[in-house]
Amino acid sequence: MLEIKNLYCKVKETEDNILEDFSLTIKKGEIHVIMGPNGTGKSTLSKVIMGHYKYEVTGGDILLDGESILNLSVSKRAKKGIFLCMQDPTVIEGVSNSEFLRTAIGEVSGTKVNLYTFIKDMEKAMDEVKLNNNMLHRSLNLGFSGGEKKKNEILQLKMLKPKFIILDELDSGLDVDSLRIACKNINDYLEEYPDTALLIITHYPRILEYIRPQYVHILKEKKIQKTGGIELAFEIEKEGYNGVNVMMGNEENE
Amino acid sequence: MSKILYVIDNNTKKDYNYKIEEDTIIYHFSINSGSNVLIDLDKEDISLYYYYNDINYDDNIFTIKVNHNKSNTHSELFNHGVNVKDNELSFKVEGSVLKNSAKCICNQDNQIINISDGKSTICPNLLIDNYDVDSSHSAYIGKFKDEDIFYLESRGIPEKVCYKLLLNGFLINSDSIEYDKIKDFVLEIEKI
Repeated sequence: MLEIKNLYCKVKETEDNILEDFSLTIKKGEIHVIMGPNGTGKSTLSKVIMGHYKYEVTGGDILLDGESILNLSVSKRAKKGIFLCMQDPTVIEGVSNSEFLRTAIGEVSGTKVNLYTFIKDMEKAMDEVKLNNNMLHRSLNLGFSGGEKKKNEILQLKMLKPKFIILDELDSGLDVDSLRIACKNINDYLEEYPDTALLIITHYPRILEYIRPQYVHILKEKKIQKTGGIELAFEIEKEGYNGVNVMMGNEENE
Repeated sequence: MSKILYVIDNNTKKDYNYKIEEDTIIYHFSINSGSNVLIDLDKEDISLYYYYNDINYDDNIFTIKVNHNKSNTHSELFNHGVNVKDNELSFKVEGSVLKNSAKCICNQDNQIINISDGKSTICPNLLIDNYDVDSSHSAYIGKFKDEDIFYLESRGIPEKVCYKLLLNGFLINSDSIEYDKIKDFVLEIEKI
């Protein structure tokens, strides 16, 4: 599914790399977690995969299903099935949720979206993520609470049906009930589309009580320093990044 | 229930004078035009919502002045312009509250998006001669934000289509606007 090979990247027009010699392989149907202290490049990684304009890849490669995506535009990466659930979703005044999502579905599917089918599907999905129907006609994320923004990301995910999902700190800004609802929707999606791969970026293992990963990676000093199972996440919660010897005991996830 | 007016300018230069005596919404659409708008709020307890949306190709000036001649009057101005070519577009926007007009609300929001490297200016003025007034103004000149384009693109929408979505949202900035009354303007957006 997704292979990151010896990746080097930096913010454009700066010198220092944020990630260096970073490698990770995520296969179909796998769930991976990346944890790490603040400022180690977790969110940068997610944006680089998506093709964010601020970052420059200076070495290595990112492949989706064996093909490099580095030369693809952001929208082409999305059309290939990559979905970034953003930490702080953008507010866009004047563009309604319905107009935006109908356009996006049309572009991703390559077909004209039937209005009746779209509304029915949207109503069902909004009901499942517990979002009020009136948000359909509101400007994109305008006036939404932190929780509503995150639920709106999950709604988009359900409608666009990606095959590789990145959750960038989904749990920030979500209360316990909302997190449970968001995770239930993701688990239902993974059950319906079992080949989907998931990369979770988080500080806290709370989300992992709802979505169980196979692999937990510790990102520190620009690359993955340690890989383990879910027990590693709980160990970090207990001991902190300084308490766990993250510089030793690399385990391959392949 | 507010009175609703539609004004469409297409390659003209006009003066408009309004004496407002009831709650009023004015949707003013402009294609490559300049205009002078003078509004007098002449009755207490009334409101005015003014939506000016402009597609500009040549050098043009839009001037609007709202006089709060009575107490407890309320004005909200939303002036949006898209400067398409390398030319000059100016907004001169003035809200005036007289000494005897208390408890007025006088707000203005002004934005110009430069598609090319045109020169745009906004002069937002508030002339307030009363201590009991709620008033604000804002002005933005620039491009559409890169972060907005990135967000839309990250959902599979190509860059060109992103701009169309943003232009539509920017220039038709009220849910209540009836599209069939502004067909020419909608077609003009498609040409940008």
